[in-house]
Amino acid sequence: MAISEEEIKWLARLSKLDFEEGELESFTRGLDEIIGFADRINSDVAGDTQSIREVEGECDALSALRPDVVTPSSPNEEITSNAVSERGCFSVRRVVK
Amino acid sequence: MSYEMVCGIETHIELSTATKIFCGCSTAFGGAPNTHCCPICTGQPGALPTLNEKVVEYAITAGLATNCKINAVTHLDRKNYCYPDLPKAYQISQYDKPLCEHGYIALDSGKKIGITRIHIEEDAGKLMHEGGFTFIDYNRGGVPLIEIVSEPDISSPEEAREYAEKLRLIMRAVGVSDCRMQEGSMRCDVNISLKEKGSGAFGTRTEIKNMNSLSHMVKALEYEYSRQEDILKSGGKVEQATLRFDERTGETYVMRTKEDAQDYRYFPEPDLLTVVIPQEKIDSLKAALPELPDARYKRYTRDLGINPHSARLIYAYSNVCAFIDGVIALGGGVKNTVNLTVGTIFSTLPSEGDKEEFAIKVTAGEMAKLVKLLDGGFINVTMAQKTLASMLAEGKAVEAYISQSDTAKVDEGELEKICADALKANPKVKEDFKAGKEKAIFALFGYVKKQTGGRADMRKAEEILRKLLSE
Amino acid sequence: MKSVLLPLASALRSGEITSVSLTEKYIARIEEKNPQINAFIHNCFDYALESAERADKLIKGGNAPILAGIPFGIKDNICTKGLPTTCCSRILENFKPIYDAAAWEKLKAAGAVLLGKTNMDEFAMGSTGERSVYGPCVNPLNGEKVTGGSSGGSAAAVCARMAPYAIGSDTGGSVRQPASFCGVVGFKPSYGAVSRYGLIAYGSSLDCIGTLTSSVSDAAIVFDGIRGRDDRDRTSIPSPTGKKELKGDIKGLKIGVAEELFEGCSSEVADAVKEAVKLYESAGAKIIKMSIPALTLALPAYYIIACAEASSNLGRYDGIRYGYRASGYSGVDDMVIKTRSQGFGDEVKKRIMLGTYVLSSGYFDAYYKKACIVRNNIKAELEKVFGQCDVLFAPTAPKTAFPRGYASTNPLETYSADMCTVPVNIAGLSAISIPCGADKEGMPIGLQIIGARGADLTVLDCAYFAERENAFAHCDKGEDDYEL
Repeated sequence: MAISEEEIKWLARLSKLDFEEGELESFTRGLDEIIGFADRINSDVAGDTQSIREVEGECDALSALRPDVVTPSSPNEEITSNAVSERGCFSVRRVVK
Repeated sequence: MSYEMVCGIETHIELSTATKIFCGCSTAFGGAPNTHCCPICTGQPGALPTLNEKVVEYAITAGLATNCKINAVTHLDRKNYCYPDLPKAYQISQYDKPLCEHGYIALDSGKKIGITRIHIEEDAGKLMHEGGFTFIDYNRGGVPLIEIVSEPDISSPEEAREYAEKLRLIMRAVGVSDCRMQEGSMRCDVNISLKEKGSGAFGTRTEIKNMNSLSHMVKALEYEYSRQEDILKSGGKVEQATLRFDERTGETYVMRTKEDAQDYRYFPEPDLLTVVIPQEKIDSLKAALPELPDARYKRYTRDLGINPHSARLIYAYSNVCAFIDGVIALGGGVKNTVNLTVGTIFSTLPSEGDKEEFAIKVTAGEMAKLVKLLDGGFINVTMAQKTLASMLAEGKAVEAYISQSDTAKVDEGELEKICADALKANPKVKEDFKAGKEKAIFALFGYVKKQTGGRADMRKAEEILRKLLSE
Repeated sequence: MKSVLLPLASALRSGEITSVSLTEKYIARIEEKNPQINAFIHNCFDYALESAERADKLIKGGNAPILAGIPFGIKDNICTKGLPTTCCSRILENFKPIYDAAAWEKLKAAGAVLLGKTNMDEFAMGSTGERSVYGPCVNPLNGEKVTGGSSGGSAAAVCARMAPYAIGSDTGGSVRQPASFCGVVGFKPSYGAVSRYGLIAYGSSLDCIGTLTSSVSDAAIVFDGIRGRDDRDRTSIPSPTGKKELKGDIKGLKIGVAEELFEGCSSEVADAVKEAVKLYESAGAKIIKMSIPALTLALPAYYIIACAEASSNLGRYDGIRYGYRASGYSGVDDMVIKTRSQGFGDEVKKRIMLGTYVLSSGYFDAYYKKACIVRNNIKAELEKVFGQCDVLFAPTAPKTAFPRGYASTNPLETYSADMCTVPVNIAGLSAISIPCGADKEGMPIGLQIIGARGADLTVLDCAYFAERENAFAHCDKGEDDYEL
């Protein structure tokens, strides 16, 4: 296997995901498979190692950017309409049993 | 073994644009929670950023004012980390192609503190913890910031303070930010390590986050210097860590160690295109740079002869300086202009912010008229101060307070007569004066002032009185 | 392939039908068919009927846009204000956007009648239409087969005549491949030709809104209704109006055929596409055989870039501002972790983890950066290709529709099934899939016609030739079982 359980745990921490012991093994196998698939990229790639952004090639002229003019914000009820909120704030109870 | 401090500062400055960096929401301070928000700055699914033109211009201006090279082709990157105050779980920032690079700020000693880079990015929202809940307000989320990263060229807490102070004055002078540390529109992270004197190798560094006042920064650096010095002298090793400075105890505390270091997984922001800045734009922003504080201080002290003490009181405030320069240009004498400003006017503007804003009811034109009356001896200092105070309160022209007759000077013959009368009315004064009581003369001043309604040239009056007393 | 929209538009104008009656018919059709097919996962029939009433007034007033009064479905990853938009994921359960996506905004303004949201693979990650929290979408042509994906619901809705057209999205083939599996027309315009504003992001540099229709003429009409530069999407580009009448003029048209795009294809698929090539040749097109070696790495490059961007785009689903929130936890960070672990499906988690992996400091150069170089090379090579020819002909998918359940046991083969479609997204090109044949079980085979970025009309016009000539009439499916 190309990827260790340690690495999986590290990736899970960065990704804010958690795997139960039972599912970890099958998940590791699945991820290993897809990494192996992605690894085909490492079969002799020749090319310019220029800044990866220049790959995109498209540019915005400074003058094409958004002018600094205030547009109306959304009403607070709308912004929080999909969430638990209190006094206009998004709220999270810190511990829920 | 003796050590030397090696310190670099990362300064976050909020730009004073009207709108946020990636949406049209207002950046105004305050406001009820989540009322300066929209789908973009709250990270709603499917919303996309659009870059504010002014943010780029302000950042270039900041770079030009600190001697940076401007990257004409620049792009934005995503810095990925998950925290509730960051609605998209990434901050749009700049990684490998910052807008500005390779600048410096010169300290008074002539030492240059290098500026590695200046890049643009978005601010996060605000978390409040209360009664078992965390509340989140995204009004500040998406407010434009520049991050100014210095080289580790700073070798003492005092240099750190001077660097930060100069940076603040420059950014205010060029108008890109009000740099109010209390309100959080300027924040410093300092990193510090110690190196053996004479050795080239840097030690392990620690970073102290979010200093919101210069005096705290100095205290934190002093504390951290001695903490690291103690460790090294006792043969220990400094642990790489991110620290927090507690203002109450004056000590630093560990927030994060190397073990829980983040991996930000930077990559180019696919929702925004590369930005190309034409050279003409850079040139025109450069041409539009105002006089910077250091140059102004030199002009005031060297060219205009303002004493260093007064010059220090005014040079930081662009609006004050513009006013003084205006009064002088209209013929007001330098000394009286400056003295009246730092005395009478400043007494009505107690706070830093008041002076910065300098919203006074007196125009440079009216002020020049008043100063010229004083310069010419038509009125005395007390009268000038009193008049100016009334003008500041009521916003009327000089003529409303000083009439033609007031400014008609008491002629010399009349003044001599009044002085003689003064002596007659106070016969004991001559005796006392001759007996060495210099102060006795003040009684006569009072008489003259009263008789002339304050119109007398008191220097002249003193001259006459001394002559009469010593006869 | 026959236009559905043109006769509907004229019947609405002649007064033969009204939008309300048409909408009622489609609602009835959905109620009849959807329980087996599961193409629609949220309906908004009341809203549809209200819109239809408004549209009828608009049409009576004259000068109504061509799409006025015609019902349609929209993929569940496109924001519709106040109507559920969940990406078929538990993590967005009960989510109702607070704004409209640009494409939907345009259709709404044109008087189009929204019937509901269509099923999809969770967050558009999948090529079968089965990975949805609402259950799999079933191929209307054969209940044992998948629809393809991720826009499976949109393709199935059009195939089963539950909607005259539907809107989908295509990150690596998600419009074209289900179109191919369901025997309908799937058009993925050039990257940026349709604003992404309000399209819930998967791989931002690849995502593209596209159309699922019964014909090429309909694709042109719907594309015209949603295309256009949008200041809110900096990556959007202006594109020429599709109103220009399609001619199907292919005399002298240079058609490239690249061997790499046939690798791994079943013989039935390869043969059907080659037949199509011959047909075009016999009508006066010029065929240029070629090799595009850079394409062999397109697939891994695609998965690396798409997953890298997805890992970042999907970071925002933390249970704080919208969507699902775990019900028991021991702190805010724990809430976020539990919410995400319970809210995302396995495939999504796998792609987030792969994306995190390829961007992490130890692996960035070996994966993400290399994938960008490969992308660069592919773009450059394809640019040269479109110097030599006007369009490329290729299969849409190497095989016809998978049996249901096949993908979960053969994940890599399903990834490989995107081989013919991902190069188009990697280079931001324009491409269409039209049905051109059928396998021995009668499942449709898609012909993919690919053009340069911005050459949307060239692609549409080339495909229109087949429609005009009724060239592939033998493989038209299900069209006659439903007359309005």
